[in-house]
Amino acid sequence: MKIKQEVKKKLNDKVLYTNLKNFASNYKVSRQNALTGLDFFKLRNDIYKSKDFSKEEIIALFEEFKQHVEKSGCTVLHAEDALTANKLITEICKKHNAEYIVKSKSMTSEEIKLNHYLEKQGLKPIETDLGEWILQIAGEHPSHMVMPAIHKTRQQVAKIFEKHTGEKINPDDIDKMVKIARKYLREYYFKAAVGITGANVAVASSGTIGIVTNEGNARLSSTVPPVHIVLVGYEKLVKNFSDAMKIIRLLPKSATGQNISTYVTWIKGSNPSFKSDTGNKHTYYIFLDNGRLSFFEHPFLKDALKCIRCGSCANVCPAYEMVGGHVFGDIYIGAIGLILTSMLHDEKKAKEILSLCIGCKACSFNCPAGIDLQSIISDLNVYMGKKYSVNPVKKFIYSAVMKNPAVFKTAMKTASFLQKPMLDETKENIKNIPYIPKEHNFRKLPSIKTKTFSELFTEKKFGEFKSSKKVFFYPGCAVEYFFPDMGVSMVEVLQKTGYQVDIPKAQVCCGLPAIHAGDGESGKKTILKNIKHMGNPDDYEAFLVLCPSCGMAIKEDFKKYTLDYIAEFKKSEKIGKKVMSFANFLKINNIRFQNEDDKKYTYHTPCHQGRGLGFVPEEFLKETFGENFIPLKDSDVCCGFGGSFSVDYPGISAGILDKKIENIINTKADCLLTDCPGCVMQIDGGLKQKGVNVKVKHLSEVLSNLKIQKK
Amino acid sequence: MTNTDTLLEKFIEKAKDVQTICIKTDKEAFKNILKEKNFAFVSLNTPFKSFNKECEFDESGIKDAIVNADFAIAETGTLVVDSTEEKIRLATTLAENLSLVIYASNMVAKLENIVSYMNDKNSADNAYIAFITGASRTADIERVLTIGVHGPVSLTCYIIEDL
Repeated sequence: MKIKQEVKKKLNDKVLYTNLKNFASNYKVSRQNALTGLDFFKLRNDIYKSKDFSKEEIIALFEEFKQHVEKSGCTVLHAEDALTANKLITEICKKHNAEYIVKSKSMTSEEIKLNHYLEKQGLKPIETDLGEWILQIAGEHPSHMVMPAIHKTRQQVAKIFEKHTGEKINPDDIDKMVKIARKYLREYYFKAAVGITGANVAVASSGTIGIVTNEGNARLSSTVPPVHIVLVGYEKLVKNFSDAMKIIRLLPKSATGQNISTYVTWIKGSNPSFKSDTGNKHTYYIFLDNGRLSFFEHPFLKDALKCIRCGSCANVCPAYEMVGGHVFGDIYIGAIGLILTSMLHDEKKAKEILSLCIGCKACSFNCPAGIDLQSIISDLNVYMGKKYSVNPVKKFIYSAVMKNPAVFKTAMKTASFLQKPMLDETKENIKNIPYIPKEHNFRKLPSIKTKTFSELFTEKKFGEFKSSKKVFFYPGCAVEYFFPDMGVSMVEVLQKTGYQVDIPKAQVCCGLPAIHAGDGESGKKTILKNIKHMGNPDDYEAFLVLCPSCGMAIKEDFKKYTLDYIAEFKKSEKIGKKVMSFANFLKINNIRFQNEDDKKYTYHTPCHQGRGLGFVPEEFLKETFGENFIPLKDSDVCCGFGGSFSVDYPGISAGILDKKIENIINTKADCLLTDCPGCVMQIDGGLKQKGVNVKVKHLSEVLSNLKIQKK
Repeated sequence: MTNTDTLLEKFIEKAKDVQTICIKTDKEAFKNILKEKNFAFVSLNTPFKSFNKECEFDESGIKDAIVNADFAIAETGTLVVDSTEEKIRLATTLAENLSLVIYASNMVAKLENIVSYMNDKNSADNAYIAFITGASRTADIERVLTIGVHGPVSLTCYIIEDL
């Protein structure tokens, strides 16, 4: 598989690793500062709503825009596809006898591979954005939508400049390099007959485009040459300036963590130009369709057209941070890149890169346009799975094993027997697995326990405890087979506080692994079976989970996959409202704990805890552990587990885990708490493999040893 | 403190975040500044019209320029410049050092407060309005912030206290 080789290559690229790691770290701080005092979720919801157009509405906005600028003597053209757009632009350039063309950065021109086409026609397009220019003279393409050359070091840039300009360049003098670009590019603005820019917004109510830049190159490109071509996708249209300002407010904050970009340039119509034969600019607008218009009618891809191209989905993506945009995306990069590649480019390429999503939802949470990127990726995975078939081994596991409680249990029991010779002295972990490739060996895996949680539940006679206060506990596969003690601990705490705990009659997988792998059909069957074994939602105060990923599946996917089944849908809706994590339940029921040891604790927030179930127990932990609670840097960044992701991409998984471990070590804590058995598996396994002496516990396991204080 | 004073302070704070040099002045003192500085390009409204001066625009650029800003936006430290006139567009993009002049009474709190101005200006057949927040900058090489790439290497904002 080609993509795995590419991933491997990027994982060995130390420059890329350092640049992306540093950027991610700085970005989070600046973004946070820029958003201080603002209600991000309200603002992004405003953008989402203001960009929610049907195909008819977007065409109406286009007509409105067109009417305004045509009045000013400009030309507005529709380009159905990339080739048409390239041809139209070439014709305009030739009509105005252009040799040189100055371009400011435009992802849309990357989408249609404009430079390549123009060069074939004998024209000389010059990229003027510094990053784009570096790549143009190096013969490469961008690896980030906002910071195209983020994968390059100063030394590499110095070499590229030396080769191009013939000047000797000190690689440590970035300031000098920038000055060279300034000097070198300045003359081209005057040589060029045509300037090409994109647009960040196109305001229909007046026919004005807005361009966001820091360098000032778009201002020069749209001012000095007598001809201006604007290449813009239909999705950039907004109704009016109020809606445009909302985008201008969040775009730079999300892109680079700047409060606003240095220049926001608003251009309408044909402005005066002393170099033009008519005294006014020749202005052309090329509106690019390239499949966009049809997607305004698509049930789940429509939202991708709300993207404002800030690149923040890449900035917060832990997998992108490991491999960069030349692998994580195609022309467009980051989570939106995975999606747009499916929509606008090669579907087979898209199928490959979609597998790079670890499912952590950081992108969805950070998107300033409110696009649930991860959910679209999940739907696309299911679509691709249907069309191109799912990996046969996975398919077999999801359709024949995990869906069927008896078969799954038998398989796990057999495995627990077979693993015996491979266990370490504690029996908690597998010592080593024979014949496993080295790259998979970055963590010690937990053993399958000889007794399942359900068996322990019966053995300990937990079912005999009756009370009027009832909760239902869904253990999920990880607690059932790998970590039954987590479940036992929780039941003990709950019974001590007077709660009756019921569990499913048979343990069925939540369906998330199948859905994430693209096997929607098995996911659906699993969910339907699961709902059967769930108690009556009206009988319980809450449906508790120790695995937030199961919780999120119950909350979101149960409804989504039972749309055709009325009774099951109704039950899913009710259960979904009551599903929550253990700590959340303790918090709302005022159950508190007193810790008496003097160990230091820290906490890793599982992805689907904060971003799925919407609860982070930080405050609860501070109350319980006081000053012995040490916050973990990037606590809510993924640990690299991602279920089968860590098996498909062990190198990425291990790399993400390394950063987590580095942060854990820096807290100097004795024990890391978390709320997810998957995270325990990954982090504990990694720490043990590295010989780091920090215990990893599920919150339930630690709380069961503490004194309860019912408030 | 009046509302305008608060806006002014907020503006100055945000402008300084992006290395804009803010200088508070009054009409008379500002006339002296104009005499002293002897800018290469000056395009100002009354009462400073007598200082207006034009220059050649070519690829060698110009040393410095000063023009009016119509509004200042406090939340972002932004100056709003109507650059529809070509010489203003060229001067503000090609000057090594750019200076903008704003009346303290033209401070607004938020981006949205500029909407009616934008509607007004863009009701004409053509318009070129620039929001300028600091000098031209890039961080395209190793994310190191470098000031002065294609546009001005410095931005100075003269605030005329007219209230």
